[in-house]
Amino acid sequence: MDTIAFQGLIGLSLAMYLWLISAGLTIIFGVLRIVNFAHGSLFMMGAYLAFTFYGQLGLPFWLAILLSLLGVGLLGLVMERFFLRRIYSIDEAYQLLLTFGFILILDDAVKIIWGGVFKIPPIPAFLDGAWRAFGRPFPVYNAFVIAVGLLVAVLLWALFEKSWWGRIVRATASDREMANAIGVNVPRVFSGVFMFGSMLAALGGAMGTPVRVASPGIGAAMIIQAFIITVIGGLGNLKGAFVSSLMVGILSAYGTLFFPVFELFFIFVIMVVVLLVRPQGLFAR
Amino acid sequence: MKRSLGIASVLFVVSLLLVVAAAVPAGAQCQLGVPAIKIGVQGAASGPHADYGRQIEMGATMAIEEINTAGGILGCRLEMKFMDDENKAATGVKNARYLVTEWGAHFMVGTDSSGVAMALGPVLAELRRIHFFTHAATHRLTEELVAGKGIQEIVRVSVPVYQDAIVAALIFKDRPEIKRWATIGADYEYGYASWSLFKDTLKKYRPDVEFVAAAWAPFLTLDFSPHVSAVMAQKPDAIFSTPWAGEAVMLLRQALIQGVFDQIQAWWQAMGGSVDVLEGIAAEVQRDRFKGKLWATARYIHNWPDTPENKAFIERFRKRWARFPNYSAETTYSALFIMKAAVEKSRSVETPKVIEALKGMQIRNPGGLRVFRAEDHQFVYNVPAGRVMVDPNFPIPVLGDLKVFAAKDYYRYPPFTPVAVTK
Repeated sequence: MDTIAFQGLIGLSLAMYLWLISAGLTIIFGVLRIVNFAHGSLFMMGAYLAFTFYGQLGLPFWLAILLSLLGVGLLGLVMERFFLRRIYSIDEAYQLLLTFGFILILDDAVKIIWGGVFKIPPIPAFLDGAWRAFGRPFPVYNAFVIAVGLLVAVLLWALFEKSWWGRIVRATASDREMANAIGVNVPRVFSGVFMFGSMLAALGGAMGTPVRVASPGIGAAMIIQAFIITVIGGLGNLKGAFVSSLMVGILSAYGTLFFPVFELFFIFVIMVVVLLVRPQGLFAR
Repeated sequence: MKRSLGIASVLFVVSLLLVVAAAVPAGAQCQLGVPAIKIGVQGAASGPHADYGRQIEMGATMAIEEINTAGGILGCRLEMKFMDDENKAATGVKNARYLVTEWGAHFMVGTDSSGVAMALGPVLAELRRIHFFTHAATHRLTEELVAGKGIQEIVRVSVPVYQDAIVAALIFKDRPEIKRWATIGADYEYGYASWSLFKDTLKKYRPDVEFVAAAWAPFLTLDFSPHVSAVMAQKPDAIFSTPWAGEAVMLLRQALIQGVFDQIQAWWQAMGGSVDVLEGIAAEVQRDRFKGKLWATARYIHNWPDTPENKAFIERFRKRWARFPNYSAETTYSALFIMKAAVEKSRSVETPKVIEALKGMQIRNPGGLRVFRAEDHQFVYNVPAGRVMVDPNFPIPVLGDLKVFAAKDYYRYPPFTPVAVTK
């Protein structure tokens, strides 16, 4: 029993990384109707910037995360304002081409700036070590990841459901022409949302740097999982992304424990089952 | 159908080469009638494994610079082209086809992943070019594809999973307190082959050991926490681990924070003696976080053998690249000198003649004496294993407390009895 509970807790920490990256992806899709293939690359940039600020420049870990969010947010702003904005009105295939182009550009940029070798800074002292959970040492680091993930979930809920900005964003998402007509500056909302989504991806990347590595290609690894999660949850649905992140994270941890030979299929099996039963995703309206 | 296609493409390549040879005047002193000897080099140059490709490139570059400075091979200059195989079989095969049919490579060197190597094998027979493998480790490459299927174009300069698996079994058979083994394995050919051979060998010496858990992690795994917690649930005495490069560093970090090194007797990190891994865990080794329980080997380590050749090689390498050579650098460097010796002996760059010239070859490299084995085209040499520790003579951790086994005691020998390779 303890084994199952412990593995579930490990799965929960895995789920939180997935949640952070898919939250940004699904928000951007929900409002801008853009499928941002380069979202994983923003995750990667978050990891590299955090490594630079914390591992190379020696800033405090918290500050490094904050700065990497700002940096990637800025990058997202540039991407939306100067590139994506030009193609909203034309065929969706161009979005795929453009965002895919960004994956290649950012992967190569990273190689040029930081080199091809992986980067991993030391674990900050206050996050090193373990607590006991279900009779076994549970890493403080994983507990930190769970805490950040849950905190973000609460903040996002408050932001979208309770705040003025959230209401404008939801209005724009449900009918951009009507929002425009009643005086919402839609292009500005788009920029803001894209920037915000980029920062969520960066947070996922930055948070992992001391225990995961930053290397070219990690963005592509993450984006596939993030897509599957947003599809399971219903494209554009934040609650769906949260629930399906939990499902995928925890179930794949159990897959590793109980079915190590088939573990890789797990995430796809979940997706197939959900798509068969509810093709629009778990929470889509 | 397949056969005629093969012949057609070979004819195409040959005619292409004839055209190229006719168009360019032969180098003035080159005695082989080619403008330059072209070496196609491949390795993983992106992703968490990128340092291996980079080290292959550095090793090849340095060997070629040294050979060219000394007048080339029979007066012929060497040229190289490096390509990133992205650790993907399809990319490796595409690169090989490009390097031979379009760029005109006479020889190929490199390849990190066993998965890529197994895909390349049959293609080499079709391209009729020798590929010196300098990292890919599955025993099946030489045992099945060369000794079994007779693909002559495969030559391996680096030691296969005998190093990763059989050496481990020989060390840990003498630790009676270690009875329960678990693996956290690389989820592809290399991980399966290593674990299967390890179990097969250890079981012969120690019928009392149990293999209690296995967790498999594919390339680009960023979080090994579930793998660590899954195998630790079975309370193993020791872990046999095969993820490599950046993945090995992440795995070790994530195992440390789960307190694994308080609960086990030993951790075998097969290719943990690699320079990038040692650099990545240097801070933890400094603080003795692994408690002397971390064991590893490699396909060459810079602190062995203690010979003037090896020391001089390391000195030149550090001067040229400001880093220690990883094993993929030494094996690639040595592969080019093996190629040089074979071309000089056969006075030809033609594949069958060069293969003939390899037979019976014994050659001293930085890593020690390498002896060519004709049955499976494996160069036989030995590398020790040891405990990961700090050494005041080196700026990064090294393998110490070295266990040295003669190659004859841990290589498998033809005729090969197949070992079932399973997850």
